[in-house]
Amino acid sequence: MLKLSERKEVVPQNFDVIIVGAGPAGSMAALKLARAGLKVVVLERGRHPGAKNIFGGLLHNTPVLNEMLPAFWERAPLERHVFQKVLAFMTPTSAVSLTFETEGFDELPRNGYTVFRPVFDNWLAGEAVKEGAQLLCNCTVENLVKKDGQVVGVTVKGREGGLRSNIVIAADGVLSFLARQADLRQDFRVEDMGLGIKLLLGLPKETIDERFHLARDEGADISFLGTTDALRGGGFLYTNLESISIGMVVHLSSLKASGKSPYQVLDTFLKHRHIAKLIKGAVPLEYSAHLVPEGGIAAVPQVYTGGMMVVGDAAGLCYTNGINLEGINLAMTSGVLAAETAIQAIEARDYSAAVLSLYRQKLDDSFIIKDMKTFKNAVDMMHIERLFQTYPQIISAILEKIYRVEGTPREKIMKLGRKEALKKVKTKDLIADSIKVGRALL
Amino acid sequence: MIVDDLPQFTQFQVDEQTHIVLDREVCKSCDHHACVHSCPANCYTLNEETNRVDVVYENCLECGTCQVICDKNAIDWSYPRGGYGVCYRLT
Ligand SMILES: Cc1cc2nc3c(=O)[nH]c(=O)nc-3n(C[C@H](O)[C@H](O)[C@H](O)COP(=O)(O)OP(=O)(O)OC[C@H]3O[C@@H](n4cnc5c(N)ncnc54)[C@H](O)[C@@H]3O)c2cc1C
Ligand code: SF4
Ligand code: SF4
Repeated sequence: MLKLSERKEVVPQNFDVIIVGAGPAGSMAALKLARAGLKVVVLERGRHPGAKNIFGGLLHNTPVLNEMLPAFWERAPLERHVFQKVLAFMTPTSAVSLTFETEGFDELPRNGYTVFRPVFDNWLAGEAVKEGAQLLCNCTVENLVKKDGQVVGVTVKGREGGLRSNIVIAADGVLSFLARQADLRQDFRVEDMGLGIKLLLGLPKETIDERFHLARDEGADISFLGTTDALRGGGFLYTNLESISIGMVVHLSSLKASGKSPYQVLDTFLKHRHIAKLIKGAVPLEYSAHLVPEGGIAAVPQVYTGGMMVVGDAAGLCYTNGINLEGINLAMTSGVLAAETAIQAIEARDYSAAVLSLYRQKLDDSFIIKDMKTFKNAVDMMHIERLFQTYPQIISAILEKIYRVEGTPREKIMKLGRKEALKKVKTKDLIADSIKVGRALL
Repeated sequence: MIVDDLPQFTQFQVDEQTHIVLDREVCKSCDHHACVHSCPANCYTLNEETNRVDVVYENCLECGTCQVICDKNAIDWSYPRGGYGVCYRLT
């Protein structure tokens, strides 16, 4: 691994491809390109890959990862494999949860693993380096270099000179200053972003196994609705081997309008009786924050221009259907698709937008754009304020009525449900919301 | 959870130069100070008496929330120089 910090300036060099960002998208692109024998360099602003990266916790099953690194699970630094999925509806005083466990989750390749990004990203970048990719850490790319309207290289903040290449792949994450500089995207908008904040809490393995009813390396993934103090968003909890990742993602527009502080909302969440029980005795290990692209397919920018392609979060390839947040799998897959396109362009010695448009076609044909289209309406659903406070309250009120034995006549469940719902929501809104939820998920 | 304690759980390699520059003239006319309440690391403060907004960059988690949320373009924000700033270990 070349250490740039040991050199005064970046020596002008010619690469086939420069990749900006050693996140999952960038490293998978690098792996693919290096294997094809191309001269590729990855520039990462962190001291090591992953040093700037955080996520909730779930590395989803990603076919392209299994394909490029067969049996990766035997070598990769993984925490637990997620065996138990829980959806919890919370009100300030109660919690209702649905648990899903299946034997299927126990088969290889697993449905998902909890990982630490500073560790996993570092490992993945290392795999690309093993295949011949160059990795330069401590390099914040500042500007694109253009020639005749085509991207031909980059410059690095605080250093002289720059690097030249035939193709630049922008894998620089949710705040892609490079995509903006290339005029591929407009300015960042609060409507298209969520803020994720997370606290990593240490707990002994036995305590975690016992509290969450887990064995061996089995893990739990819990999504919470109703814990964000009426902000649009949700809470999450993932179990790692000897720690718990807990936090929330809230929409920026909702956060802005509320006047609330994210850490105070998190604080209230952590103090909820149900949560306090789960994290009792835990020691805080790390606090982190990161934005998430949440604008859905409508916010996906133009993903290519002459000499450049945009992958992963930088291209807004991330979505939530309200329950699952998928980003890392889309990032890795798009990285590989861009690399495939680059290989074809280099063979043809043509790096024009016309040739690189093939990348967009590949995205369209993959599960990435298909899934984002499927859940297009989830973006609308996620804008229903009531989903995040009122509905969890209704569900909890219904269950309370069902379970509370008071010696008075009981009502049938459906009737009860309607009555409880109408206490809090107007019929018109209830119908409109159920249509939105229906459109998003059914 | 004591907010002031949070940064102590995170590692930073503090640069001598800031990566966040405020245009305080613009902030004077701001009616929401969204940066102040939205920053997850409490980097912004508002002095209620003088109506002056201040920012410390040393504890910045580099999430970018402030610059996206400010609708007056008052924040000149960029990533710190390579190797500087927040440095996550686990997470
Ligand atoms: C709180 C939270 C929870 C999430 N939970 C999940 C989850 O459970 N499952 C899931 O699949 N997804 C989840 N996501 C989304 C997921 O993290 C992203 O979709 C994924 O990380 C995108 O990968 P990427 O490689 O495109 O970008 P990133 O992982 O952001 O990588 C970008 C890289 O580029 C580097 N970089 C940026 N700018 C420059 C520059 N100018 N010069 C040099 N380097 C630069 C960065 O340091 C970074 O290493 C979550 C996100 C958040 C914030
Ligand atoms: S930075 Fe923007 S949001 Fe913050 S006080 Fe100034 S104008 Fe308002
Ligand atoms: S980037 Fe994030 S952590 Fe840094 S000052 Fe802005 S809001 Fe706060």
